[in-house]
Amino acid sequence: MSERILKKEDINKFYEAASKTYKFYGPVREKGNIIFKEISNPEDLVLDYFNSKIPPKEIVLPRTETLFEYEMKGNDIIINDDVVPDEKVLLFGIRPCDAYSFTLLETFFKEGKYQDDLFIKRRKNTTLIGIGCNEPKSTCFCTSVNTHPHDKENVDVFLTDLKDKYLVVPISEKGKDLVKDLNWLEKATEKDLEKALKLSETAELSIKTKLDLKDLHEFLMKNFNSELWKESSQSCIGCGTCAFLCPTCSCFDVIDEEDKYNNRGRRVRVWDTCQFCIYTLHTSGHNPRPGRIQRFRNRILHKFSYYPIKQGLIGCVGCGRCIQYCPVNNDLRKIINKFNELKNKEKEEMVVA
Amino acid sequence: MNEIKNEDLKVNVHEAESNEEWEPKIIAFLCNWCSYAGADLAGVSRIQYPPSIRIVRVPCSGRVNPFFIVKSLTDGWDGVIVSGCHPGDCHYISGNLVARRRFAILKDLLEFFGIERDRVHFMWASAAEGERFAKLVTKVTKLVKGFGPNKKFVKKW
Amino acid sequence: MSNIQKENEEIERFIREVSRDLFKENKVDLIIGYGKGSIPFNTTPIFISEENDIDKLIWNNFCYINLSRYLLPSLNDFIRENKDKNLKIGVISKGCTARSIIQLIIENQIKPENVVIIGMECNGILNRKKIEKEFGDLEITDILINGDNIIVKGDKFEKELAFNDYLSELCKACKIRAPPISSKVSDIIVGKSQEVSSIEEDDFSDISEFESKSSEEKWAHISELLKDCTRCYACREACPFCYCNLCFIDQNLPTWFSKTSNLGEIVIFHMIRALHVAGRCVACGACSNACPMGIDLTIITRKLEKIVKERFDFTAGLDLDTLPPMMTFKMDDKEEFMLEED
Repeated sequence: MSERILKKEDINKFYEAASKTYKFYGPVREKGNIIFKEISNPEDLVLDYFNSKIPPKEIVLPRTETLFEYEMKGNDIIINDDVVPDEKVLLFGIRPCDAYSFTLLETFFKEGKYQDDLFIKRRKNTTLIGIGCNEPKSTCFCTSVNTHPHDKENVDVFLTDLKDKYLVVPISEKGKDLVKDLNWLEKATEKDLEKALKLSETAELSIKTKLDLKDLHEFLMKNFNSELWKESSQSCIGCGTCAFLCPTCSCFDVIDEEDKYNNRGRRVRVWDTCQFCIYTLHTSGHNPRPGRIQRFRNRILHKFSYYPIKQGLIGCVGCGRCIQYCPVNNDLRKIINKFNELKNKEKEEMVVA
Repeated sequence: MNEIKNEDLKVNVHEAESNEEWEPKIIAFLCNWCSYAGADLAGVSRIQYPPSIRIVRVPCSGRVNPFFIVKSLTDGWDGVIVSGCHPGDCHYISGNLVARRRFAILKDLLEFFGIERDRVHFMWASAAEGERFAKLVTKVTKLVKGFGPNKKFVKKW
Repeated sequence: MSNIQKENEEIERFIREVSRDLFKENKVDLIIGYGKGSIPFNTTPIFISEENDIDKLIWNNFCYINLSRYLLPSLNDFIRENKDKNLKIGVISKGCTARSIIQLIIENQIKPENVVIIGMECNGILNRKKIEKEFGDLEITDILINGDNIIVKGDKFEKELAFNDYLSELCKACKIRAPPISSKVSDIIVGKSQEVSSIEEDDFSDISEFESKSSEEKWAHISELLKDCTRCYACREACPFCYCNLCFIDQNLPTWFSKTSNLGEIVIFHMIRALHVAGRCVACGACSNACPMGIDLTIITRKLEKIVKERFDFTAGLDLDTLPPMMTFKMDDKEEFMLEED
């Protein structure tokens, strides 16, 4: 049996052991918000938290990332594109929904002929230690998108919070090696396993928001020109908060910067969102998504239509951040439900006919 | 409002003293009809003043976009001077009056955000005031030298 | 002891009554107001085109969105397309919303004949991020007002907080709670309003206190305040005055400032945005409320109001005749900041 117990009082010991090989990232509280940051002092680690505001995808897809740097020396241009450090990163405390988003992002960045080398390198160097959610919030709906509060699939090691200790379950090869190295961890008992199972079941039952997403992707595409889009996007101000806090949004803009007085420069990529008005602006001046309605519709379709059609997965992990932080409270659940109502009404009309 | 606070000076004087060779680099936007001619007069009259400024000629002080000033600070310039015709003497009638309001707000905001008040200066200098131009540039150089190199807005590479 | 809940109910009853009358007398085609949010602390903007929906309008101390944002650009396009119908849009307005509408009329962005300001006297907006911080990550299920207190309820807890402690900083200093009325503006305001002459002087003492710090302290404070900025531009989108077709930060030829998360560049974005709304900002707090990271831009918006009040004796959005300070100039403007010889 490979399951172990990590007592919460031994967290410092765990940190000391892990930080010998890894850069240790974990949840800390800054100005009242939880953020996943590199930890130099294990006392800063917060163990009693719900989830971070900014999703942990910023560890594999930083907000600002240099793609390459160049320097002019005389007539030569020296280019440095080995910009991702060769360090191993341990991400402690990621929630199952955010871990699932890492898998989704991988399908996006590893797709097709052109693979995103920087993302792939960062992802390979990152080890995920997930902690299951015992108390999901009312805005969570991970069970509607093929995952659940104690989903072990997308992490390397899975922890269940048993109040004063964690049940440690190694999942992947990376995870098994990591746990093996921590040979001072006690073996878990049957009682621990039972308690963890009970917590998992309780958490799954406590998810209040349930969205019916079956076949919705086809329906949304067919109703591309529906009046319902206008109604749903009326209050949207196009601020981009939903995209910036979304664990699966991955659009980026590429900027060139120049330090002309020192003969050097670099190319940088920064987070971007389809909600910005210049996102699809062509150099001719034409914008195929000129207004709020088109841009809002694009975001919903990308997550609930294009992703399922192209990758076979729903492009949303049910974390609920867009619902909690939208400044005008444009609730995603309301919109999905409205479309479902329309879908059911159409079905009824077809049956009657 | 023009006084330099003691705390501002104490911060970087130590650095400036230890690096006495350091000369500030100040960019100067001079309006073509008055200030640029005034600077030229200072040169022709062989009036001595510190070689710290690099001049950019603009048709009128009203052409100076606040972006020029902020971008100069980002690019690493230690100080910025904008100089135009005296109010009432603008070659384009009211360019300097428009500029004056802009500069007032920009200066207030720069100070509010923590940039030392005496890094960025606005002045009026006419084509006949070569000596005045030299005196004012000397004053600005001394003030900026006291603050040390500009570190706050400079982009970190 | 004031009864805030009673005030809220009275305001809600009042705006519903005025809106109903406007529909009955065919004076508006659409009303924009606040509706119930789907989660505690939130309200959502609603667009009412029928009298039957009037009861969806609500008022509480979480109505923080500046509704004048919805007048541009999309509604404005809608009005222009229907020029012959002469559409009228009613907006439920607190003092700051009404001031933004008046300022937008001065800037020729909306025509006064297309808008009706449904005035009400605002009793303050609560700072929801400050309240949330009290409870860490616990989920809040309900918020009620009881006398002078707020009752915050969760699944396993209930706590009372003092209303005045959690009032937004801007609302604490606000002197213009109902739409300001002056001669030309009176045609478009219905409901409550307040005389411009009755507006109290604001001494901006909180800002003066900040200004007395040294520049190192100011830089440290501003850096600490803004370092979490994710460059999402929610503040820009929420502001009624950021309606430029191409924002300076998006400009490409030339690229003035970069969009990275470098601290200096973050500060520059906020400073230049402040520079561009100087003389127009009504300190409504929409920017702070939209920020996903919870950055409180109060000192910046208050400073903008202070600058134009002290230099030009101007307050934004009061009457249609005075041009904002950045749209005009005077021969005898103060120039104490100009460099002079010793």
